[in-house]
Amino acid sequence: MTPQDIPLYEEVVNGFNRLSAADALGRESSDLRKTRQSAFERFRESGFPTIKNEDWKYTNIARWLKEEYALGGLPGGAAAGGADAKVMDENVRAAAERSRVAELDAYIVLLVNGVWQKDAGVGAVAGAIPAGVELLTVAEARQDPALSVYFERPTDGKERYFTALNTALFSDGLFIRVDASALPEKPLHIIHVFTGDRNLLVQPRHVWVVNRQAELKVIESVVTPAYAEASAGETGDGVAAGGNAKIWVNSLTEIIVHTDAKVDHTVIQTPGEGTRLVQHTTVRQKRQSLYNNYNFTFPGSDLVRNDLQIRLEEDHTETHLYGLYLAAGQQLVDNHTLVDHQKPACFSNELYKGVLLEQSTGVFNGKVYVHRDAQKTNAFQQNNNLVISKKATIDSKPELEIFADDVKCSHGSTVGQFSEEALFYLRARGIGEETAKGLLINAFAFDVTEKIKTPAVEAHVNQLINQHIPVSHA
Amino acid sequence: MANDNEIIDNIANKEYEFGFVTDIEMDVAPAGLSEETIRYISAKKNEPEWLLDWRLKGLQAFSRTKLPEWQNFPLPKIDFQKISYYAAPKSKKKYDSLDQVDPELLATFAKLGIPLSEQKTLAGVAVDVVFDSVSVTTTYKEKLKELGIIFCSFGEAVREHPELVRKYVGSVVPHSDNIFASLNTAAFSDGSFVYIPKGVRCPMELSTYFRINTENTGQFERTLIIADEGSYVSYLEGCTAPMRDENQLHAAVVELIAMENAEIKYSTVQNWYPGDKNGKGGIYNFVTKRGICKGANAKISWTQVETGSAITWKYPSVILQGDNSTGEFYSVAVTRNKQVADTGTKMYHIGRNTRSRIISKGISAGEGQNSYRGLVQIGPKADQARNFTQCDSLLIGDRCGAHTFPYIESKNNTATVEHEATTSKIGEDQIFYLNQRGIDSEKAVALIINGYAREVLNQLPMEFAVEAQKLLSITLEGSVG
Repeated sequence: MTPQDIPLYEEVVNGFNRLSAADALGRESSDLRKTRQSAFERFRESGFPTIKNEDWKYTNIARWLKEEYALGGLPGGAAAGGADAKVMDENVRAAAERSRVAELDAYIVLLVNGVWQKDAGVGAVAGAIPAGVELLTVAEARQDPALSVYFERPTDGKERYFTALNTALFSDGLFIRVDASALPEKPLHIIHVFTGDRNLLVQPRHVWVVNRQAELKVIESVVTPAYAEASAGETGDGVAAGGNAKIWVNSLTEIIVHTDAKVDHTVIQTPGEGTRLVQHTTVRQKRQSLYNNYNFTFPGSDLVRNDLQIRLEEDHTETHLYGLYLAAGQQLVDNHTLVDHQKPACFSNELYKGVLLEQSTGVFNGKVYVHRDAQKTNAFQQNNNLVISKKATIDSKPELEIFADDVKCSHGSTVGQFSEEALFYLRARGIGEETAKGLLINAFAFDVTEKIKTPAVEAHVNQLINQHIPVSHA
Repeated sequence: MANDNEIIDNIANKEYEFGFVTDIEMDVAPAGLSEETIRYISAKKNEPEWLLDWRLKGLQAFSRTKLPEWQNFPLPKIDFQKISYYAAPKSKKKYDSLDQVDPELLATFAKLGIPLSEQKTLAGVAVDVVFDSVSVTTTYKEKLKELGIIFCSFGEAVREHPELVRKYVGSVVPHSDNIFASLNTAAFSDGSFVYIPKGVRCPMELSTYFRINTENTGQFERTLIIADEGSYVSYLEGCTAPMRDENQLHAAVVELIAMENAEIKYSTVQNWYPGDKNGKGGIYNFVTKRGICKGANAKISWTQVETGSAITWKYPSVILQGDNSTGEFYSVAVTRNKQVADTGTKMYHIGRNTRSRIISKGISAGEGQNSYRGLVQIGPKADQARNFTQCDSLLIGDRCGAHTFPYIESKNNTATVEHEATTSKIGEDQIFYLNQRGIDSEKAVALIINGYAREVLNQLPMEFAVEAQKLLSITLEGSVG
C-alpha cells in the first residue's frame, strides 16, 4: 500500500494544508510553526510505518489503516476538522468513575480526547490542585511565549511516522509544571477518556516539567466509555469506544526531569475494542534524577503500541522501567523501550513481563544504547513471556548497543508456558486446574506489581489482573 | 593499568603475520560480471547445460536485488564490475603425489603452518586444497573411496556425480536467497563437495584451506555437504589470505544437508587479511551458510572462530525440519583496529521436539565493532521446541563497540526459549588475582580470554583448537582491560 492509498494519509495531508491556508496557527510562535511545518514534511515523506521498517517489523497496522478517520482536535479549533470533542456525557462520566483507584487520595484531572475538563467534577475528593503544581492546557501553553519553547523542538532529530504527525497537528493536552523543591502532598491521577461518534484520529500532546529537587507522582488511566449496546462485554472496561466508532489515539508525552528531581509514573491502559492506541513517551533525565515507570496493558483495545524513550542527558541518573502486558482476543500489544545512556555513571533497570491469551500477539523490543562517554554505566533488562494459548504469538527483541568499555550491561529474554511441576504441585494439594493457573499467572505478574510503591494502586492493578484472567479461554 | 594505551597500540600496530603473495602464473578472466562472463566460466569448466542455466538464474536474481541496508555497519561501495570472476593456476595437469605440486605453492602452505605431507602422515587429515579457485590436490581420496565417501572439488562432483549435485545444490540456499548468494550462484568458481553414504561414520576430519591470491580476484566457493541417513562427518574450514591493499570480496555459500539420524559438524577458523590499522584493505567476508536437518534426529553443529577480515558478515543457520533434530552454533569473534563483525545465527524450529543451542562470544579491541544478530523462530508445529542462547561480549579499550540484536519469534505455546546476554570488560579483580599469583598482566589477559572462549574452543577438533588458541593469543596479545 503506498501512502496515497491510505485514506487517513490523505485526510492528514489535506487537513494540514487547510490549516496552513486558513492561517489557523496565527497565534503560535513562528518557531513552533516552523517545527510543525518540518514535522509535517517528514510525515509526508515517511507516511505510516509498514512492516518493512525495522521498528514496526512485527506490528502490521495496515488492517486498521484501511478505515477512514476524521481528524479530531486540530490546532486551529473546529475550523478544519469538524466536530470533535464530544464533551461530557453519562458514558464518559461512568468511564472516568470506573477508572478511579479505590482508597487513593489523588487530585483527579479528566481529559476527554486530550482536552482537560476542568469543571467535570469527577471525584468529590479531588479538592484543590496540590501546592507547587501548576496545571495548564496545552492549548494555552503553546500560545504563551514563555512556554511554547517546550513545543518548538522536535523530541528527537529524526522523528517521523506518528511522532512527526503528532508534532505537525497536535492541539491540546496537559501541561504540568512542578516548582523547584516542591513535594506535592498527593499524586495526580490523570484519566484519559477517548470517545467519538464517528471514526476519529485524536492527537494529544502533553509536557511535564519537574524542576530541581521536586517530586511528582502521576497515575494515568487510559479508557474508553462503555456504551449500553456493547456493555454486555464480560471484560468490564473492554467495550466499544463509541458504539461502532473507532478511535485512533496518537499521543505524545514529553517529560523533563531536572537535577535531583524524582518522578514516579504509572500508566494503566484499559481502553476497549475499536481503540488503536499509539503512545509515545520521551523522558529527559538530568543529573542525579530518578524516573520510575510502571506500565500496565490489559485486554480490550485492538492495538497498543507504547514507545518509551528514556534519554539520560546527564550523569548519575537512575531509571526503573516495569511493564506488564496481558493480551487477549485478537489484540496486538507492542512495547518498544529505549534507554539511551549518553553520560557516565547512570543506572537503568528494566523488567517487562507478558501474558498472552487467545489469539493475541505480544511484541517487545527493548534497546539499551551506551554512548562512548557513558562509562560506568550499569544497564539491565529482562523480558519474560508466558504464552498461555496455542494461537498466541510473541516476538521479543532485546537489543544492546554498546560503545563504552567500562560498563556492566545485560539482558535476558524468555518465552515459556506454565511449569508442569508447579501445576502438579498445586493440583496435588486439591486446587482445581483453573484456579492453579490463575495463581501461577498472579505469581508471574507479582514480580512487576510488587514494584508499585503505592498500595492502593497495586491493589487496583491486581484487581484488574484478576478480572482479565479467563484461563478457561486459553 | 598505566601501559594500557601502549598495549592497545601494540595490538593495533601488529602486522598481519600471513601476508605474502605467491608468484604463480594465473589464468584470469577479464574483470566484470555479465552473461558473457558466466558463459566463459561455465565453458572453461566444461559444465553441463543445467548448471549454466542455474548460473544465469542466479545472475538474474543478482541484478534485480538491491544491497541490504539493515546491517549495523556502513557497507562499503563494492564495484561488482571491477572484480575478476575467475582465476585458476595455469598448470592444468593432475597430480598423483604432492611432489608434483608447484613447490611455490607448497611453500605457501608451509608458511601458513599447514604442511600437507605432515598432515597426511601425522594428523590424518584429508585436505582438499583450494588455491584460488581450482582444487589442486586432494589427499586421502582413495582411502575415503573405500567407504563410499565422496570428497572432491565441486567441479569434479559436477562431472562425476551430476545427479547428486543437481538434486541438492541450491536446495538449502536458493539462487535468490540474498544478493551475495545470487552472486555466488552466478559466478562460483569451485569449492568442495562431500557425500557420506548411509550409515557411514567418516573416519577422519575433512578439511579445506582456502586462500585468496590473485589481486582483484573475488572468491566464490560453493560447498555442499550431504550426510545420508545415520552418517557422521566433521568438516573443517580454515582460511588465511595474503596482505593486499585493495578490498577483496569473498562471497561463499555453504549448504549442509543432514538426513535422518545423520550428524554434520562444521568448524571454521577464519583469518583473512583484516586490513591495516587505518582500516585500509582487508577482506569482505560475506558468506551464506545454512544447513537443514531434513530427517528426524538429525544434528548440525556450526563452530566458528573469526579473527580476520575487514568485515565479517554471516549467519550460519540451521533449519530444524525433522522431529527431534538439533542445531548448534558456537562462535568466537574477535575484532580490532577498524574490523567489523556482524555475525550470529538463525535457528528455524519447524519439527517437534527440536532443540537449538547458541553460544556466542564477542571480543572487541581498538576500534573494532562486534555485533551478534540472531533469530530463533518457533513455528506453530514445533511442539516442545527448546532453545538456549547465550551471548557475551568483552570490551577492550574505550573506542570499540559490542552490540546484540537477538530476535525471538514464537508461535507455539509449548516452546521454551531463553536468551541472555552480558557485556563487560575484563575485571580488574581477575587480573589482580592472577598478578598476585605471579602471573604478569599480559599472560593473565591471555588466560582470561582463553577461559572466556573455552566453551566454543572446546567444540573444535583438536588440531583446530590449537590453531584457534594461537590465533586468539596473537590477536589479543597483551590487551589489559
